[in-house]
Amino acid sequence: MDLFQRFALGEIDAFETLVRQFQGEVYAWIVRIVRDAGIAEDLTVETLWRIYRARHRFRHDGNFSAWARRIATNLALDHLRRKRPEQSLLAEPAGAPQPDHLLQREMQEKIHQAFRRLPVKLQVAAMLALVEEQPYDEIADALGISVGAVKLRVFRAVRIMRRQLSHLGVRP
Amino acid sequence: MTDHDDRQIREALQQSFPPVNTEIHRDLWPAVLRKLEAHPAPMPWYDWALIGLSVGVFLFFPRLILVFAYHL
Repeated sequence: MDLFQRFALGEIDAFETLVRQFQGEVYAWIVRIVRDAGIAEDLTVETLWRIYRARHRFRHDGNFSAWARRIATNLALDHLRRKRPEQSLLAEPAGAPQPDHLLQREMQEKIHQAFRRLPVKLQVAAMLALVEEQPYDEIADALGISVGAVKLRVFRAVRIMRRQLSHLGVRP
Repeated sequence: MTDHDDRQIREALQQSFPPVNTEIHRDLWPAVLRKLEAHPAPMPWYDWALIGLSVGVFLFFPRLILVFAYHL
């Protein structure tokens, strides 16, 4: 019996081996979406726990990585939906800010603001495709949609962002 | 929408969202194990269905309890 079959039967030793093998991959995927190490760790633990609970649904011939990424993406989406949109992801710089730095920071704040106003599904697609430059087929797999649908989401995200940025007086 | 527009937004986003460290800082297995112990997996529906079926059979055919007990 292979590792995945033992895991599907609920063997905790097999699950431990899988956790140690895949936790880095799951964490890396989540942190790319939520961009916070602490939150990504919590969501990784939640993902791995859900994977164990859903072990009966895992197909032995399936791709464990892709399955884990899909569960992780759903959790990350839920997290972003719960999060307040005005919460900034920008770190405060150390020391007294310079005037040009202030301008740059203001522009970044506006870009963040425009990005966080996007529907969460568009945010995730744009973050993974444009910022993290992940392969479209992996994004599609993780979101449970086609590659064409991912491209459409990215296209819509770019279009909305451009409109919002122009309202905020920013030309990227 | 042109490729130029796409590239401009991509660059603006990449500047606005600096790269994150994707390396995991610690082993999460102890935390996963704690969560599993705190929230054990519920019994699957087919186990409940089997229990329900058995109770039903024993209620309608009580003599089967003796047969069942004999084979245990």
